[in-house]
Amino acid sequence: MSNILTNKTIKKLLFIGSGVNDFGKEAEHDSAIYQVMPELTRRGIEVFVIDENPYTLSLESLSATTFWQPLTVKNLKSVILENKIDTVVPLFGGESSLRLWSEVVQSWNYGDGTMPNTLGLSIDMILKVNNLPILTQMMAQNGLPVINNYVLKAQDEANELLRQVQLPLMVRALHPIQNNTRHIVDRLDDFESAIKAAKSQSVTQEVIISKAINGLKEISLEVLRDSRGNKLQIGASEDMDPIGIHTQDSLSISPILTVQDQLISKMRSYAFKIADMLHLEGVLHVRFAVNDDSHEIFVIKVSPYIDQMATRTALCTGYPTMLVAMNLAIGVPLEEIVLPRNFGANAAMMEPMMDHVVVKLPIFPFGELAEAGISVNRKLNSVQKSVGTTLGFGRTFIEALEKAIRSAHFNNTSFSPTNMATINDDSLIQQLIHSEDNRVLLLIEAIKRGYEIDELAELTNIDEFFFHQLVHLHEIESQIEQDIDSISSLRRGKKYGLSDGLLARFWHTDFNIIRALAKENGIDATYKAVEPSAGEFPENARQYYATYESENESAPISSESILVIGSGAFRMGDAASGGYATSVTLSELKRLQYQTIIMNNNPNDATLLPHLADKQYLEPLEISDVMKVVELESPQTIIVPGNRKKLIDALKVLGQKVVILPKEKHMPIGPNEKQSEFAINLFFDGEKIYPINLTQHMAGEMRIIPQMIETIDGIDVLSLKNPGVYQFIWYQETIKWQETIRASSFGKDGSWVRPMPFGQIAYLTKVMDVPLMRMIVRAGLGRLTDQDFELLNTLGKRVTHNKLSLVAGDINYGLHLQPNQVIDGTRFEIGVGVDDHG
Amino acid sequence: MTERHLILEDGTIFKGLGFGAPATTFGEIIFHTAMTGYQEIITDPIYDGQMIVFAMPVVGASGIHAEAYESVKPTIRGMIVHDLAEVSVNRQRRMNLDRFLKQHNIPGLYQVDTRQLIRHLRETGPQKATIVDYADEHAVDQLVATVLTNKQVQNTATPKPYANPGRGRHIVVIDFGLKHGILRMLGDYDANVSVLPYTTNVEEVLTLDPDGIILSTGPGDPRTLPESVLTLIRVLQTKVPMLGIGLGHELFALSNGAELMPLPSEHHGMNHPIQEIISRQIFYAMQGQGYAVNAETIDRKKLFVTYRDLVDGAVQGLRHREYPAFSVQFFPDAAPGPLEATEVFADFFETVEDYVEHFNQ
Repeated sequence: MSNILTNKTIKKLLFIGSGVNDFGKEAEHDSAIYQVMPELTRRGIEVFVIDENPYTLSLESLSATTFWQPLTVKNLKSVILENKIDTVVPLFGGESSLRLWSEVVQSWNYGDGTMPNTLGLSIDMILKVNNLPILTQMMAQNGLPVINNYVLKAQDEANELLRQVQLPLMVRALHPIQNNTRHIVDRLDDFESAIKAAKSQSVTQEVIISKAINGLKEISLEVLRDSRGNKLQIGASEDMDPIGIHTQDSLSISPILTVQDQLISKMRSYAFKIADMLHLEGVLHVRFAVNDDSHEIFVIKVSPYIDQMATRTALCTGYPTMLVAMNLAIGVPLEEIVLPRNFGANAAMMEPMMDHVVVKLPIFPFGELAEAGISVNRKLNSVQKSVGTTLGFGRTFIEALEKAIRSAHFNNTSFSPTNMATINDDSLIQQLIHSEDNRVLLLIEAIKRGYEIDELAELTNIDEFFFHQLVHLHEIESQIEQDIDSISSLRRGKKYGLSDGLLARFWHTDFNIIRALAKENGIDATYKAVEPSAGEFPENARQYYATYESENESAPISSESILVIGSGAFRMGDAASGGYATSVTLSELKRLQYQTIIMNNNPNDATLLPHLADKQYLEPLEISDVMKVVELESPQTIIVPGNRKKLIDALKVLGQKVVILPKEKHMPIGPNEKQSEFAINLFFDGEKIYPINLTQHMAGEMRIIPQMIETIDGIDVLSLKNPGVYQFIWYQETIKWQETIRASSFGKDGSWVRPMPFGQIAYLTKVMDVPLMRMIVRAGLGRLTDQDFELLNTLGKRVTHNKLSLVAGDINYGLHLQPNQVIDGTRFEIGVGVDDHG
Repeated sequence: MTERHLILEDGTIFKGLGFGAPATTFGEIIFHTAMTGYQEIITDPIYDGQMIVFAMPVVGASGIHAEAYESVKPTIRGMIVHDLAEVSVNRQRRMNLDRFLKQHNIPGLYQVDTRQLIRHLRETGPQKATIVDYADEHAVDQLVATVLTNKQVQNTATPKPYANPGRGRHIVVIDFGLKHGILRMLGDYDANVSVLPYTTNVEEVLTLDPDGIILSTGPGDPRTLPESVLTLIRVLQTKVPMLGIGLGHELFALSNGAELMPLPSEHHGMNHPIQEIISRQIFYAMQGQGYAVNAETIDRKKLFVTYRDLVDGAVQGLRHREYPAFSVQFFPDAAPGPLEATEVFADFFETVEDYVEHFNQ
């Protein structure tokens, strides 16, 4: 590890977490902070972190002093002053911590003493980045192609503007009252009404008019800049869907395939110029709108901080983005960065290359909501509707797409050639123009109905390439359907990423038969490394994905390894808790000195961090994917979330040792406005139950009841199969917080036992300072210690005096989804925070 | 698409599907790690006689563009890719990569485990290879018996002088297998360009009274060229500002007494950090080289090293201590590749302006 610190004044460094999860904000910031903290500690820097999100892994890190508090200016200031923090890193917490930090800076008084240094981006630049018109102006002055915004109030001013600008135009409200609709004006006749509509949505009766760029291609580049002004490009992706559909809701692919080098090089130099303009020392994500034909390029968003693009490209390429970004922030120049041994010698300075394709699919909550009878607006537009992200890795677009679809847990039937047949031509066209979440299906259906590729490309503004690919997919599928039991068809299908299940359906048989047939004929998955040199240099890779080619690069790591099955993408309900549980599990296994393997496909949490496991498989989590890895690695134990019942059964049939992390299939419904949910929480070690405490949960908030609980009667130990944390639940019609609750209430009608949701485990872990998740893992492996039992025996006798309650995040379901009824924030949780009720 | 085979001289055989021309082909096989710019790469004359394996997973998805030709007629011997896309952006013809290669009689092979092939080639270095229908003994014998040409410069360089007129400075380009990117860059400076064959002489060049001279890129081993080329450079560098690029850089080094060494593994890509030694600035550029100037053989009284590849330490640029002459191993025309490398042309034109000013005084 290099000792070169150009800035010697860094002694106490504070990370500002990103707070409550929300649309577009998963666990990517926590993951980034968690990854770099140990490296800073090794350099002798004392690290501090503040966040309010109970799923924050960093708050459980041993490398930092942690503050679990609501993220307010007041709390931040007092942490800084009380701990004599000399340095703050807001960039790792993303846009929201950048905003919070600028508020702190602006409210800093003379009497507060010396303000800490800000790393990565100067205060001046942070303020500019937070102010869009100023940032746009600054970019225009630097010769960057931006879209000018004209702010005006009166209709005649607008008419005057028409002399300067060309149609189509986009008209929006300035300072929108609530929901900001973008009005696209294609014809002069619509201009006046659009202005009127936008004005009515504005608090100040002002509108913003700009050139409409709907329909252009959306491209993202990720670049780095060091203190010497050196810059490199570390990732790029293109959206399949054109501008007009939120980039998070778009299917996107890495690397960029459909844009020619000259345009990409131009965007790269624009991104470099922006990094220089900001004097950035860190990562920068720039989004561009591109017109392939006219070669026009516009800068549409500048994000000089860690965001989902940063975590995603790190996973896609194997480039150590976070470790490098941390080095850059503390002033180590690119050339002098020394990385942990598992990265290549020059990994920091070499631009990562890819010899594989990664497809990112958004996860929409529509299915879960529909099951609960809630209908929402499914039309995709410029407001994000997806809640999570999943990745599919392959050697072709089709293979990566098929794997991403499987990772997204789409019902496979919805992707079969027979579906969609009922939709009539008119609504097909309508849906092609106004995309919904099922658009890949729709595009295939349109191809089947004989629409020409150039027609479709024009209608949808999707690049021709994707249609050629989908035509190809359609041909492959049709061929397979015809050639029942043909080995060459089977080989072809597997090569393009089709699952055993889908092939089984084509051939009207069972997936076990397909597996056996493939095996007999030597059609087997080969694993390829994800490493940043694209094969140029010998790699020390730990990350692999499956494909069907000739060379397999993955050798089993150990006969004593433990395989952990991740929980996939962020979804409504589970929110970030699944990633929390998996990450803590991996961390605990590491502590117990097991060789660990993780399978997962979520780029936005910590589960796939290079240092959390010895080996990563970036794969879908269907039974056939898991079985392939099990065959190769022969792990001694497999850890599986309890909601994966079919997988657990299948593994047990094969005689595998399975440790189950107790979890229900669906998230529980929360209490309504008039009632409270009470829980006796308990730990089950496999033989005996140990009381933990009592909690009360009202709609939107949960607290610990400050009461001792020594024994529990009436719970049948036999009903609890697997070690874990469970809760004995009952409801009462009260909306008063209880100081104590009468024991006689236990066991009354309507009560039942369930595994404690991971989210509550994360909350109790922090509020009680008891590592519940780790103890579940230890119990599952028979590794509970005497100390653990001592603790378990005393938990019920303790009264928790911490006054932090768990509160539902302030999630704007209305803006994003426009639901027809109120959404239950417990069952459909997206984010939670804490509140101090003391 | 029919099944075809790639046979390497060391006996390794790869199976794939044929695209492009269905011909049998022989050539030296190398791999390229760039993720963009396949059209520029396959039309670049530096790859004359070679077969290129692409690390980029999908090739062909951005079509064939009028502005992305580095020579009108590609002379590579084969293209080996993993996945092939059939996109066309040509307004007149459905011209996708497959048809483009067919038209130029170049065979391609796809659905090859290119990652395995690259991992193999990085160990063995470049070798002879053939693409055939059947991988039988006959094909292997044919490959072993084949002697590859070392006349790549003769194959690709212009035999006759021609002009690319402009209204700016007069630049003479000595052509060793010139790529269009250099002319495009000179066009950006509105240079008045005369392209001369490498068989030209001092008299001819100086009669044209150039403001600057560019020694172009080109294919193959520069040591196969006649000694007269080195003499020509030795004389011209004392008279007129000079920039050598790629093969031109290697020739510039040779003519000033340095020696070349083969790289253990050829390097073709755009991801290596290149450092400008004086400023310590790092940048990236398209690189394509099988040889490098041996730093130990450089006469430090004449030349000094200006750029280095930070990955393998290879010399990436030289400058003469006495004359306004310098050279770069990488390709500063950014076709394809990062634009930051085009600074080299700005340097060159600055030198040219100084030279012109000197005479005007």
